[in-house]
Amino acid sequence: MALLEVKKLGISFGGLRAVDEFSISIEKGELYGLIGPNGAGKTTIFNLLTGVYKPTDGTITLDGVNLTGKSTIEINKAGIARTFQNIRLFSNLSVIDNVKAGLSNNYRYSAATGIFRLPKYFKVEKEMNEKAMELLKVFDLDKEAELPASGLPYGKQRKLEIARALATEPKLLLLDEPAAGMNPNETAELMNTIRQVRDDFDMTVLLIEHDMSLVSGICERLSVLNFGQLLRQGKTAEVLSDPEVITAYLGE
Amino acid sequence: MKRKLRPTTRKSFVTYAIVTAAFIFVEILVSSGSASNMFKGLLVPFCVYSIAAVSLNLTVGILGELSLGQAGFMCIGAYSSAIFSCAVKDTITSPWVRFPIAMLLGGLVAAVFGILIGIPVLRLRGDYLAIVTLAFGEIIKNVLAALFIGSDSKGLHFSLTSQGDLGLEPDGKMIINGALGISGTPKDSTFEIGFVVLMLTLIVLYNFINSRTGRAVMSIRDNRIAAESIGLNITKYKLITFGLTAFLGGVAGSLFSHNLAVLQASKFDYNLSILILVFVVLGGIGSIRGSVIAAVVLTYLPEVLRSINNYRMLIYSIVLIVMMIFTSNATIRGFFAANLAKLKGIVSKDKTAVKEGN
Repeated sequence: MALLEVKKLGISFGGLRAVDEFSISIEKGELYGLIGPNGAGKTTIFNLLTGVYKPTDGTITLDGVNLTGKSTIEINKAGIARTFQNIRLFSNLSVIDNVKAGLSNNYRYSAATGIFRLPKYFKVEKEMNEKAMELLKVFDLDKEAELPASGLPYGKQRKLEIARALATEPKLLLLDEPAAGMNPNETAELMNTIRQVRDDFDMTVLLIEHDMSLVSGICERLSVLNFGQLLRQGKTAEVLSDPEVITAYLGE
Repeated sequence: MKRKLRPTTRKSFVTYAIVTAAFIFVEILVSSGSASNMFKGLLVPFCVYSIAAVSLNLTVGILGELSLGQAGFMCIGAYSSAIFSCAVKDTITSPWVRFPIAMLLGGLVAAVFGILIGIPVLRLRGDYLAIVTLAFGEIIKNVLAALFIGSDSKGLHFSLTSQGDLGLEPDGKMIINGALGISGTPKDSTFEIGFVVLMLTLIVLYNFINSRTGRAVMSIRDNRIAAESIGLNITKYKLITFGLTAFLGGVAGSLFSHNLAVLQASKFDYNLSILILVFVVLGGIGSIRGSVIAAVVLTYLPEVLRSINNYRMLIYSIVLIVMMIFTSNATIRGFFAANLAKLKGIVSKDKTAVKEGN
């Protein structure tokens, strides 16, 4: 059975049908791409999958659990984590604290334990620090651990967002334009990192991207979206050579 | 090898050291007899206002929600602890037992009110907390100013109209006498106790901020949408923080009420809430140490400058507006940042020049 099963998902904003009859099925361990021209509804689909918007029709199932209409918090706990197109870090917190905030739900102690510094506080904080540093090392951010997140260069901020999402120990990772604003070198490095995340963490990744070198370089399968509807779905090479897809991107 | 302290830990230790040093300095001043009576009278208010300001800073600076009701929580804490102390002062004679219980009780009652008003309001986005806490503070003040409670052999009597309505037996005693408030509260507050409570408050706050919960709260402040996306329960963390602010506000109120011969609700008016907010803003939003310093300085100054006391609120509001313009205006901030950098540059250049000269 597929890890993520989305059936006939749709949402209307007033009279505008932003997404219509969107279906997708992602296998465990897959690197899946979601592409389409600007305004096609890609980010809207991410917002539907993470509970920011409630779908008007259709169902979302993760690992056999029905997540349709659940809140963002419940969906994250069920195993979907995401990054944002416009970076949303906790900018006043240090780099390591951003990751530790992501660890919050898996490494628990009560507020009182924190205030009175009971032994459990030191034990759990130590585990959190180790886990956070481990994650930061994967993204080559361990040297910047104590810097404020807002002080990181752009590319590293994007990486930190991925690290924070991974800290919640998701089953499915959604990346919204991870390569936006990166130069070709940074993009190439990011491709390696995403592959490494998939292999090391046994992760399933669904990503939105406009950078075709990244899409064709790492995605195994693609869905193409146009005007809120599925245009084409299938193996990356086949989809990208489809005349209809090329027309949607470049025009007649 | 000495373990390297994290910057957050170092910050908290510096604050503890500053407060302790100030305490020792004042103790020396007082015991050597060089402190004026006016100054001695201000020692407990220093502690009260510092505690009220740092706890308000938790909501304003760490949680990022505006609260205008700190005086309301102080009022609740002051009244509930004073009632408790008056009721038990004949049975528990030792202030060392009675006062800590009274403070704890004052804090807890305030926290219950804080959580009750927080449950509906903190679910909303925007400045609703400011509106509701503003109203809350006024309601509490006015209700308590109209409340009469007395006790006699038949038990407790309540009235919201007048003392006569209570129908007390001749040997009954008044506990709350309407607008005249509570008199006869044991004078348990001392500067030493105030210092200990302030230190405990600081430790609680710093520990809270540097814990899993504090991190979650600051995450919510920095980016609510991202905080939701990593599964943080926004309402729960906001409630914990606001409850803690109310609790500590109540403790500050308890300290306040046990320093006064007569406790009146009219003291806890809107001006007091704004005054405490001014401490927080001037000390630096989010800076615990700054709140303490601002509270002490701004409590001391008006007493020294008694001649212009009438203009105090006027000056406060002007200073507040000026501070807001200065901290929010990028041009002005940039101007200061650039000049500070220049100044630092000159200083460090001098140093290197000296080194090169050698």
